[in-house]
Amino acid sequence: MKKIAKTKLQELWQRLSAEGALHLPVRSDRVVEFVRWQEDVSADLDALNAFLPPKKYFYPQTETVLKYQFEDTLQLTDVSSLAGEKTILFGVRPCDAAAFSLMDKVYLGEPVDEAYRRRRESTVVIALGCLEPEETCFCLAFDIDPGKAPGADLLAADTGTELVFIAQSSKGEELLAKLNGVLQEATSGDENKVKDAQERAREKYVTRVSVHGLAEKLDTFFDSVYWDRLYRRCIACGTCTYLCPTCHCFDLQEYAAGRSGERIRCWDACMFPDFTQMAGGHNPRPTQKERVRQRFMHKLNYFPRQHGGEYACVGCGRCVRQCPVHLDILEVIREMGGAVDGR
Amino acid sequence: MSTANGKIRSSAAEALAEGRVTLVLGWRKKDFWWQSPVAFVESAAEAEQLTFDPFSVYNPVKYLLEAAGCHEKVGVFVKGCDSRGINRLLQDKRLEREQVLIFGLPCSGMVDPVKIRAAFPAPKICEVARDGEELLVRLSDGQERVQTADFLLEKCLTCRHPNPVVYDRLLWERVPVRSGVDALRFARVSSVAQQQIQERYAYWTRQFSRCIRCFACRNTCPACNCRSCIFDQAEPRWLGKASDMSDTLNYQITRAFHVAGRCFECGECERICPAGIPLQELNRRLIMDIDKYFGPYEAGLAPGDLPPLGTYRGEDPAGFDES
Repeated sequence: MKKIAKTKLQELWQRLSAEGALHLPVRSDRVVEFVRWQEDVSADLDALNAFLPPKKYFYPQTETVLKYQFEDTLQLTDVSSLAGEKTILFGVRPCDAAAFSLMDKVYLGEPVDEAYRRRRESTVVIALGCLEPEETCFCLAFDIDPGKAPGADLLAADTGTELVFIAQSSKGEELLAKLNGVLQEATSGDENKVKDAQERAREKYVTRVSVHGLAEKLDTFFDSVYWDRLYRRCIACGTCTYLCPTCHCFDLQEYAAGRSGERIRCWDACMFPDFTQMAGGHNPRPTQKERVRQRFMHKLNYFPRQHGGEYACVGCGRCVRQCPVHLDILEVIREMGGAVDGR
Repeated sequence: MSTANGKIRSSAAEALAEGRVTLVLGWRKKDFWWQSPVAFVESAAEAEQLTFDPFSVYNPVKYLLEAAGCHEKVGVFVKGCDSRGINRLLQDKRLEREQVLIFGLPCSGMVDPVKIRAAFPAPKICEVARDGEELLVRLSDGQERVQTADFLLEKCLTCRHPNPVVYDRLLWERVPVRSGVDALRFARVSSVAQQQIQERYAYWTRQFSRCIRCFACRNTCPACNCRSCIFDQAEPRWLGKASDMSDTLNYQITRAFHVAGRCFECGECERICPAGIPLQELNRRLIMDIDKYFGPYEAGLAPGDLPPLGTYRGEDPAGFDES
């Protein structure tokens, strides 16, 4: 366990950037965004949700998966083996860190996605514990502790004036050992401060909804008239899916010119009408009703049914805050019977 | 505002009960103080949920495209900006006037939750209500009064038409246009326009580098009302799905030019952009140019207007200005 005064963070960034490409949440223009660190920028330690979740580091919006060229014979280049620059992600919030574990179930389950695996393994995730909730936070509903991030390599716990670093994996320990000159040894007093801060944070958070037993309940919900009313407000944009730290559906596209080309994988959204458009013109999800149903059933029923009961939501609240028409998962969970906490 | 809600509810309930309409679009309150989504009301009883508050900002007009296809006549509540969207649909022949019963709501501006959160600790805010010229902010441990003008959405600070321009019934007294609106309307775009072309290009590529192509700007816009959008076509695919700058600019420039002379400045594209891209600057730049080359024009003020770029006059400028 080590620590650093918040006033000395520039030294820490400097040092970390020597160990790999350092990315952290930075406020610029009108948003907070994870960007690569440069000399003159500093992390925004107050913002909870970066506009885009850090899933983009393992699952980029666009990536080339294959290159091909046809001369006398067909030459294929598998570019997934090139992925995986050494990267350090600082300031990942516990909800977004928990989302990595959910994404792992998809991309590291059989068959393993090679590019994803390489990016994941070459990245050290430094989580930053939360102290104050946004009103749209509901991580507790999914048993995510706002002060802890067990899936991260390192946890940076905010004790007010200092950050205390706790290693949680061998990758984390290795990195911590390299920061000896910059970080100070933490004492048992610091350990207590961390526990206090985590305790206080937890008390400030509210669960808002209960998802207990929800997946089972939804087994018979597919044909409910509920969906007939819910979808009408949806404008079929991709805000909820693209901003969601656990949404992971993609499309494959060919970019071909002459005798060569590449195949790219890019984010796609089940809210878009062409998401399920078939080559022959048939669309199995013909209206927005089926698309909206798909998104919520995937998160609250199909995913938990396929992955040991875990919901594909971490309560980050991005969709609650950003949906232009206020159609969000908090409302859906509540209306499906998950109780709401009072304030 | 309670009298406003009373008028809205009784107007909707009456129109539904008399069978003049079978659906009414308005707003209702949801979980959080800043959430007033569009409500689809189909019975007099449901009309009780209708609310007009400082967050009833989302323009319900785009929903008319689908609703008018399923209902003989739809009732809709509109603010000044929303009403210009109705004229947009009428001019574009996407809606017939007799398909809608329009309740006009003179609007003195909607409130920006970001500004409220900057002034008060968000978890403590329970309700923000209008009380004359002031806002009453009810907190979990008390309440405070603030001047509404300090908390309005930026788009409302530049609004020239707070009163509906098309309606069947106006529900209350007209409100005055805010002073200083004309000076503010082009302030942002003018400062960008003064930059050198390279600086402008750098500015816009930085802004658009954040575009994730969620299409919220297009989908919310009543001027974007094509039956089938070129950007949704897969065969041929006009817009690559890869998130690179050339395709993003292809989308964004086409979108801006397609609404040129038709954009009625509701500012919803910019307000809802999750990436914070200042889209209204682009729209206003085109409005500036149209004013300059085709004479002053504001879109959506009358159903019979011919948009300057949708018509031809002998004296129209023919050359290119390369500045």
